[in-house]
Amino acid sequence: MGLFDKLAGWLGLKKKEVNVLCLGLDNSGKTTIINQLKPSNAQAQDIVPTIGFSIEKFKTSSLSFTVFDMSGQGRYRNLWEHYYKEGQAIIFVIDSSDKLRMVVAKEELDTLLNHPDIKHRRIPILFFANKMDLRDALSSVKVSQLLCLENIKDKPWHICASNAVQGEGLQEGVDWLQGTDLSFYSRKTRCM
Amino acid sequence: MSSVPIEIKDSAVSSSKWLDAHYDPVANLYTFSSCITLADLHGDGENKLVVGDLGTGAGNMKLKVYRGTGLLSENTLLDLPTGLVSFLMDQHEPRTPAIAVASGPFIYIYKNLRPYFKFTLPTLEVNPLEQDVWNQARGDMIDPMTLKEMLEGIRDKAEIPLSVRSLRFLMLEPQEMESYVNLQKEQPIRRQTIITCIGTLKKNMADDDAVSCLVIGTESQDVYILDPEAFTILSKMSLPSVPTLMDVTGQFDVEFRIIVACRNGNIYILRRDSQKPKYCIELSSHPVGLIRMGKNVVVGCAQETMQSFTQKGKKLWTTYLPAPVTTMALLDLPTRGFQAILVALANCEVHVYRDKNVVSTIKTQDVVTSICFGRYGREDGTLIMTTKGGGLIIKILKRTAVFDDRDSISGPPIAQSIRLNVPKKTKLYVDQTMRERENAVAMHRAFQMDLSRLRLAAARAYVKALESSLTPMSASLTEPLKMNAVVQGLGPSFKLTLNIQNTAACRPVMNLAISFLYDENLYSMRTAFFKIPLLVPGLNYPIDTFVECLSDKGISDIIKVFVLREGKSTPLLTAHINMPISEGLALN
Repeated sequence: MGLFDKLAGWLGLKKKEVNVLCLGLDNSGKTTIINQLKPSNAQAQDIVPTIGFSIEKFKTSSLSFTVFDMSGQGRYRNLWEHYYKEGQAIIFVIDSSDKLRMVVAKEELDTLLNHPDIKHRRIPILFFANKMDLRDALSSVKVSQLLCLENIKDKPWHICASNAVQGEGLQEGVDWLQGTDLSFYSRKTRCM
Repeated sequence: MSSVPIEIKDSAVSSSKWLDAHYDPVANLYTFSSCITLADLHGDGENKLVVGDLGTGAGNMKLKVYRGTGLLSENTLLDLPTGLVSFLMDQHEPRTPAIAVASGPFIYIYKNLRPYFKFTLPTLEVNPLEQDVWNQARGDMIDPMTLKEMLEGIRDKAEIPLSVRSLRFLMLEPQEMESYVNLQKEQPIRRQTIITCIGTLKKNMADDDAVSCLVIGTESQDVYILDPEAFTILSKMSLPSVPTLMDVTGQFDVEFRIIVACRNGNIYILRRDSQKPKYCIELSSHPVGLIRMGKNVVVGCAQETMQSFTQKGKKLWTTYLPAPVTTMALLDLPTRGFQAILVALANCEVHVYRDKNVVSTIKTQDVVTSICFGRYGREDGTLIMTTKGGGLIIKILKRTAVFDDRDSISGPPIAQSIRLNVPKKTKLYVDQTMRERENAVAMHRAFQMDLSRLRLAAARAYVKALESSLTPMSASLTEPLKMNAVVQGLGPSFKLTLNIQNTAACRPVMNLAISFLYDENLYSMRTAFFKIPLLVPGLNYPIDTFVECLSDKGISDIIKVFVLREGKSTPLLTAHINMPISEGLALN
């Protein structure tokens, strides 16, 4: 970083860049959430199942996000772990209406939390209990119970109910993510 | 404080290959594997679970559709379902499969969960005698009792069995007969068969979303193949027995095979262009489950065994199960190229077999009566089981689960597959082999000759021993005795202990005496002859006597011990005791 860049950073002219991983089972709404967070002129109309992964960028008041939108399909989930190192925050999306696969989401979350690249880092995790608009959706409290989120003690985490199609609840989550000291975690990552 | 039990639980779960997605012990689902299927009924990429619920067996039969953990819809069925399949019947978009429910002589077709069509099996030939009798009844020429007698006569003799109407009539009480006859006599007699099993067969393409024909097995020992759109009978084949389980592969227009397990305990393999079964597999016990794995057939039998055959009827293997089989299903994961057999057992376990080896065991809360594995919802590896008590269990195969053949408990040990480091053949080995090959006959003869001589020598020695009673075991049946002798002491005085045992089961032995034969120049004995007491069977009698060695030359001899019977000159037993050299005298 040059002196000018630092100065620009202090003055808030240049935004800090943050790499975020967006994970979750297939059909949970990851791409839809990322799509909603993008500026309205860049939003896609049709959301199709992601193959492999896609990289999306959007900016908020203080940060510039680079999101790795991973595919949630079973056969692509083994790609996730290759991006853990780069990630400075994780967005984990859950389909709260899919009670049957809540165990699968928990299994994937446990695998993620026990991965060596994640286990010893204080990486913030934002959970979206998505599809709140559906009739048989579980509440965010119930979702956090089913995923045993209370057992995550060494990482800051937050769960918010969302409806990605309408964009409800997304801003709350992103605001929380901004509030956590992302640059601190990224620095720590480099030390380790 | 609560973290410890959670960790224990977590480790138990992580060691398992299955995730417990859902368990409802009171789902009120009573069904069998033939009446359960997974299908994308609405064409939305989300598979539903379709169940033909047998209800109480007498009523409350339902066609139930589950989505996720909840019941999506229920349709009442008129009769007990015997089979349920989903199949694509046309090319129309959207490609949503129809449901065919076989019950009684009918197949009910549902599209979009609404009744769409009802197929009735063709009626069978009615016995002309029976027809005649009923015609007489219609003309009021005979009374119900005569009708009953005549029908009973036909039932016992005729080759063509009676219709359901006549059979029901024969079951009635005399006071009910009159009204029954009046009600029934105007209708024509129909004899119908019922469906015992149902399957699907692709019509002319092998794709997953190709149009399929229905294949049905009936109580009249026939197999019918139905056209998917017009529901006409495309083909009819006959079997020697009533089919109970069925597996169908191939395409109707190209080549197909129908593997049918029948009620007579045989499996028949039908092929295109043959009216009769091509191959027959005779089982030692009745088949309970029938699965095709690639080109092989795996059958679960009533005698707690599972057997595998090729499609030509050659037996490949048999494995023994810990409990009787309740049902079987195929575990097919095409994305991972993995196939295995799910076997539900009566001891509340479900075993996953890969060939003969158990690769995973699932404990269930109740006896499983139906199993189905496949894509449910959006999850590919979902295992659905219903239990005897009406429960529903849904488990999901972990993405990271690996089925390792080696972690099986039974099956051949690993050592069997390790190649041994066999050294190369040496020149000596080759030379010897050559010699053996050239002189095989001579060597064999020499060996046989020596063997015969050895046998002769052994037999001679044996006869000699028997004749002179030289053995320490008595050969006579009336006095089975055993004796051994122990010499104690350094000399010149020795203590000789004879242990005598009566080996008979319950008879005591009496009137025995012991005598010693020795060189009187060398040894002296206080008593060289004494009587022995009554020998109780099984007990060991130690008899002590003392021997003095007279020589100081450091030589020893044999003392012979004879067990004698009063009034008989030949001894019962003889023992030769090799006396040790007397060291005591040598010191003097």
